[in-house]
Amino acid sequence: MIEAAASVASNETVEAVARQELARGDARAETVVPILRHLLANDDNSVFGDDILARVRGMAEDLARQLVEETGSDDADGDETVAAIAALFYENEGFLAHLHALAMEWQLTERMLARVTLDPVLSPLMQSLVASSEEATQTVAMKALAAQARFVQGQRRMTLPLCELPGDHLHFALLCLANCVGEGGAQAVARAEGAIRARFDEAGSRLGLLAQLITGMGSGAIAALSLTHAGCALFLTALAIGSNQDRDAAVLSTNDGQLARLLLGLRSAGMKPDAICEQLVLLHPEITLPTGLERLDAERAAAILAAGGSYPGV
Amino acid sequence: MRSEPRPFLLPVAAIRASEKVFGKPGFAGRALTDADDRLVVADQPLAGLQRRCGGDLPGLIAIPALLEAVRKSRRYGMKLARTLSAQDSEDRYTAFIEIVPRDGEPGCQISIHNWRVTPLPEANQQLAEERRTAIERHAAEIWAMLDAEQRLQAVQGSAPDLTQTLSAMQEGLGRPWTDFVVPQGMSHMQPVHWRLLDGAAVTIEGSERAWRAHLLPRLGQAGEPNGFELLLVSDEAPPEPQRNRRNGDAGKATSGTRLVGREVAPALRQPISRIIANAESIRTRLAGPLADDYADYASEITAAGQHLLGLLDDLSDLEVVESPDFSTAPDRIDLMEVARQAAGILSVRGKEKGIRLVLPNGTDGLEATAEFRRVLQILLNLLGNAIAYSPSGSEVWVRIEPHEGKPRVTVADQGPGLSEEDAGRIFDKFERLGRSGDGGSGLGLYISRRLARAMGGDLSVEAAPGQGARFMLDLPAA
Repeated sequence: MIEAAASVASNETVEAVARQELARGDARAETVVPILRHLLANDDNSVFGDDILARVRGMAEDLARQLVEETGSDDADGDETVAAIAALFYENEGFLAHLHALAMEWQLTERMLARVTLDPVLSPLMQSLVASSEEATQTVAMKALAAQARFVQGQRRMTLPLCELPGDHLHFALLCLANCVGEGGAQAVARAEGAIRARFDEAGSRLGLLAQLITGMGSGAIAALSLTHAGCALFLTALAIGSNQDRDAAVLSTNDGQLARLLLGLRSAGMKPDAICEQLVLLHPEITLPTGLERLDAERAAAILAAGGSYPGV
Repeated sequence: MRSEPRPFLLPVAAIRASEKVFGKPGFAGRALTDADDRLVVADQPLAGLQRRCGGDLPGLIAIPALLEAVRKSRRYGMKLARTLSAQDSEDRYTAFIEIVPRDGEPGCQISIHNWRVTPLPEANQQLAEERRTAIERHAAEIWAMLDAEQRLQAVQGSAPDLTQTLSAMQEGLGRPWTDFVVPQGMSHMQPVHWRLLDGAAVTIEGSERAWRAHLLPRLGQAGEPNGFELLLVSDEAPPEPQRNRRNGDAGKATSGTRLVGREVAPALRQPISRIIANAESIRTRLAGPLADDYADYASEITAAGQHLLGLLDDLSDLEVVESPDFSTAPDRIDLMEVARQAAGILSVRGKEKGIRLVLPNGTDGLEATAEFRRVLQILLNLLGNAIAYSPSGSEVWVRIEPHEGKPRVTVADQGPGLSEEDAGRIFDKFERLGRSGDGGSGLGLYISRRLARAMGGDLSVEAAPGQGARFMLDLPAA
């Protein structure tokens, strides 16, 4: 009887601590975008990591430039239009959060390369998917491999192809373009917009291909929750799908201040406590591991996670 | 939410014991939506999920995440892709869905990939069980208290078709509940151990619906049940009081044609789907290496299961077309468009067999007065047959032209053709023309002709042995 009572109590403690931690994490998450916006508007600051800021800005301007180029306009006032579009991008929290998540994903990718020589493109899991005997899997894996290689190259140059944006964000970007080009260019904008919409194929984008690979693995996708086995890209997609979170939120959860979200995410994706600890140590070698994790079941974890606040990208 | 059959009927737990993955990577089906985001046609996995979510087919998309994505794709004019994820009391469903706006038309084409059904993790099973009990308590239309010997102590209920049984039970307090409600397939008399009765299908006098009994034990100090709660649950809604009488008459008139019944078909569909899914995961060696012989057996199990599923669909359709109040909803439809959709849906199967589907050139279609999905169903049947019975490398033609002032769709193949005698009986119910083991039920053409005639048209065939078969679908002009 005494034992039973003790286990109930600590059960509640685990949940309470997790909830508290999540609330703390959420409070932090809510401040991310406002601060980010502030930093983007004011040059001289280094709190947020210069590389992240530079990369977000680089991607935004690259996207805006691609939009302007698509209209075929001459360079006369091209730069102004690019700047105007980029400024509109910064006004949209979800859009900004997405670029921020990509920059963070890249930072994690570089960190893992440096720390455990994890290849940014060809992880062990990606290798076995490419060599799959299922033709469907192999085809998608080959495309995903190429897309990931393009992503790596793009991030090094701080660029992002338009058609790599999720559909909603691309739609928003096209609205921004229409907003920033004067009456004179309306026809060119309409043509450019039509061409981009027709060309866009979300399933064929890097994120679409990664999602296809993970959903194709069924319950085997749990293997993709090992960072060193799956590589960052597949790991993050598997975490998002497994824990029913937006991928941008899943990326954010790998950050230092979001330990509770990461822990709950991994647990709700069905990962065993031992394996979770392994992942936590890999990502944050300096932390002390939480105890009593085995008493938190996957469904409770998902419920706590869902009750928490959401990231602006969602 | 629909409550699930208990393990009493279905050894789900046994299947589940070894953690299995249902489904396989790759293409799993297709669906089409219209300008109002209604699902017009959908292949099995999605059609099933639509119904589980309480939607109709055709009908507004009932899966919220999918509806949102389809709406966006249509408005943005962009190809979108989503990971779909849903769960019910037993399983979690995931799929990767691509949505493409249709060319020049208001609506989208949906393709489904990586359809997966995975059992919920074990830790959830107890919770799921508790939830199911709660749902059944809500859904029960007869609720009774029983003593340790399963004798009635109190009873409550409502529903027009239960009045008779309820008053009998109220007057018979103190007698075993099985005196009033008869468990199906129970050969021995009471007392039967309660675990055997829990989840049993029962019939209730005066009600045409299918019922299940659930016994929830009330545990005493020693852990032995000292009484029970009895819940009688039906998956079908109670009849509306006024329409009851009319339907009752119609039910009597059709009772002779009830084959599998709309009640039984859904219950059979689930276990068969599970058999297919399991065989499929054995065939693809998802759980580990396996000798080729065994993988071949598994693919035979899959084929047999798919045959059974097709047969169930046909039997449910048969029941629909044979009911006296069956009617269609005619509309002005473009036959070219129907043919294009039918060919689109079957193009993969055609390619697998190396058969080319040849549609008429040009876009000017011929209009007819008929119900779109019924004509589509007929064309799917005709084209499906043509693909199944033609040699690989051959062609199947679809022609659309006026015939004696009325629109006619002709489906011609390069197969062995039909003898005069075969052509005479090919539309008969269960006619297989001596074929077996190929997945046919002998109902498709019979149903198709019934549908054509219900729309004021006809379906006929031309006999010309050695020259391929030619099926002609005539419809009223627009």
